[in-house]
Amino acid sequence: MKFSINKSDIVDVLSKIQGLTSRKSSLAITECIKIKAQGDNVHLAATDLETGYEGTLPALVEAPGVIAISAKKFYEIIREFPSTAIEIQETENRWINIGNKNVQFNLKSMNPDDFPDRPQIESIDFIEIESAALKDMIDKSLVIGGMGEDKKPHINGIWFERLTDQSPAIIRMVSTDGGRLSKYDFVCSHDMQLSAAESVLIPKKGLSEVSKFLGSKEKIQAGPYESYFVVKSAMEIFYIRMLEGSFPAYDTILFRDEGIDIEMEKEPFLYMLKRMSILCTDNYRAANFRFEDNNFIINAANPEIGDSTEDMIVEYAGQAFEAAFNPRLFIDAVNGIDDNLLKLNIITPKKACLINGAENSAYVCAIMPMRV
Amino acid sequence: MTRTTILHIDMDAFFASVEQLDNPALKGQSLVVGGLSGRGVVAAASYEARRYGIHSAMPIFQARQRCADLVIVPPRRKRYAQLSRRIMDRLSNFSPLVEPVSIDEAYLDASGCGRLFGTGRQMAMMIKQQIFEDVRLSCSVGVAPNKFLAKIASDFNKPDGLTVIEPDQVLSFIDELEVGKVPGVGTRTREQLSKLGVHTLGNVRGLSTDLLVRKLGKFGYRLMSLAHGQDDSPVTPDSPAKSFSSEITLDQDTRDRFLLENYLLAQAQSVGRQLRLHGKNARTITLKLKTSDFRSHTRSRTLNRAVNANEAVFQAARELLNRFVINLPVRLVGIGATSLQDEHAPAQADLFDETDGNRFHKWENLDRAVDAISERFGGRSVTRGSLTVSAKLRK
Repeated sequence: MKFSINKSDIVDVLSKIQGLTSRKSSLAITECIKIKAQGDNVHLAATDLETGYEGTLPALVEAPGVIAISAKKFYEIIREFPSTAIEIQETENRWINIGNKNVQFNLKSMNPDDFPDRPQIESIDFIEIESAALKDMIDKSLVIGGMGEDKKPHINGIWFERLTDQSPAIIRMVSTDGGRLSKYDFVCSHDMQLSAAESVLIPKKGLSEVSKFLGSKEKIQAGPYESYFVVKSAMEIFYIRMLEGSFPAYDTILFRDEGIDIEMEKEPFLYMLKRMSILCTDNYRAANFRFEDNNFIINAANPEIGDSTEDMIVEYAGQAFEAAFNPRLFIDAVNGIDDNLLKLNIITPKKACLINGAENSAYVCAIMPMRV
Repeated sequence: MTRTTILHIDMDAFFASVEQLDNPALKGQSLVVGGLSGRGVVAAASYEARRYGIHSAMPIFQARQRCADLVIVPPRRKRYAQLSRRIMDRLSNFSPLVEPVSIDEAYLDASGCGRLFGTGRQMAMMIKQQIFEDVRLSCSVGVAPNKFLAKIASDFNKPDGLTVIEPDQVLSFIDELEVGKVPGVGTRTREQLSKLGVHTLGNVRGLSTDLLVRKLGKFGYRLMSLAHGQDDSPVTPDSPAKSFSSEITLDQDTRDRFLLENYLLAQAQSVGRQLRLHGKNARTITLKLKTSDFRSHTRSRTLNRAVNANEAVFQAARELLNRFVINLPVRLVGIGATSLQDEHAPAQADLFDETDGNRFHKWENLDRAVDAISERFGGRSVTRGSLTVSAKLRK
């Protein structure tokens, strides 16, 4: 096998797949990237056994063939390579020569036949969506991470739904860590074809890897296929092994008629939260929120450090309301809202506080108080 | 400024002496306190046993080899704790600044107590006398201008010793002091120092701090201060517990994960109970295993929320065990709980009913009920079914 490739064509991809290949798995071959040279292209493949990537790049192929080579070392060599054109050649006994006239690397490689097979994906009923829009959905949902080593599927994964019985149809992602939840609706344009399908649970880890590749104006395809969630563009394909399990009922949490709405300006609230979180530590994360007589007071008292208080005028005429929250969760939520005006909804100190944009409620967060 | 006077009070062969006290037939006998199985280690050795070179932390079988008519007594922790409390109470009559270091040893800051109790020596004699009158046990006391020297002094003339280092004797004392006796100087450090020609702590003063720090790291600074007789670590009473733990040496080494899990369950109960007793929650759970080659292995995990339910402690420890590759049979299992926080510290509430937080909350309530029953009717009144089964299996 022998081909020549442009550094700028490949270095970016190699950097992005490191998240997959650097993961420890039971198979040593998953630390490798598989490269297949054929025609005018090279096909790259990487996997951590849960999430797989395949992509096609232009290359000058002199002799076709397949190799499997350490993704980390290959990336480091390419990244530091002095010239644009890089020649890659299998010499003998799986030795791979990478170089140009002046620089020569010889790397051991592995048997490409050992590389895990990828699922054969036929034509599927994909959703067509702009790459940047899907990235936005994923990134907003990933703000709520999979708390540490929690094993629960609904915490490790993002719930992916299609709401086709309404017009326009909606693609929805729901994410939770057990203490808070976010919902983001992508409203489909009328020309978008969206057929009904079961909701699925996609691992957050896999989506965070996919997100690195998204962001362009290009239309891409996404959807579940057998046990995989597949994301596909013209030159690249991802398949993420979905999680088994269901998502807890969240409707009653998010969609409620009771409670009091409070409007707030985003920027001042955000800065207030940032100040109030200064005294929050890993061991003590609570700040007291109090609404009373058109006044909003946050008070954070950390027995180990000290305390802080701040107030802000809001429109609030209801009964005095008091509950403790982790301000950092509010910071995350507010950062995901695009409107300049926020709407909070509170009921009781034992129920979640809802927060979304006053105009646009495509993105809603529910944040549970802290037990004090 | 008043002169600093620190006393270090160290009970003589505490566990062994208590056994001899409670059972006069054991007086004068070579005795060790430790597990009966012959697989445990010596927790304490009477002075009679020490003459055979038996010391604490020595495996029991080795101790037996050294002394044929060695008497082995199983430990009675409750009794030791009870006496320890009485002794600590006595000490607190002398000064508000008493720092218990372990069950049988404490520091006492006597600075400024001169008008009440006289010199450090006079005070130490009163303490020794009062403790003996109260619990009929002897102790050794070191009196010195700082904690470090007080500790060394108490060890100087054991048992029933009293050693006073006056401020003007500090340097000459240090000049004579074997460097290996300094806390923190182990075999390797001693070897390194020996190569530099350092044998006594006084020799250290002949080196440059630079060289010492290069050789020993941060500890070099500490050692240099000590060599100059300086140690300003304060006597801190009631320093709150930073961790709770429980461990057990098994009757037989095993690779059986099912059996190990069962032992862990018992350790989790003990750790959970200690946490609840002290009103604490722990965020970090550590699994400790000792393999048949006597090597210790620890694995720890920091949880998303602080817990004190037995079940939560157990689950975390079990997960660590599941991930541990057992290459050699295991001889000891234990669980530690650290990153403690107040149980009343605010905790994130859960959105969904069936999540861990709520489940553990229910377990915690159950545990508290069981704690209360055990308190009234004894430790074994209520226990996990699987623990009684495994107890039978082991027999």
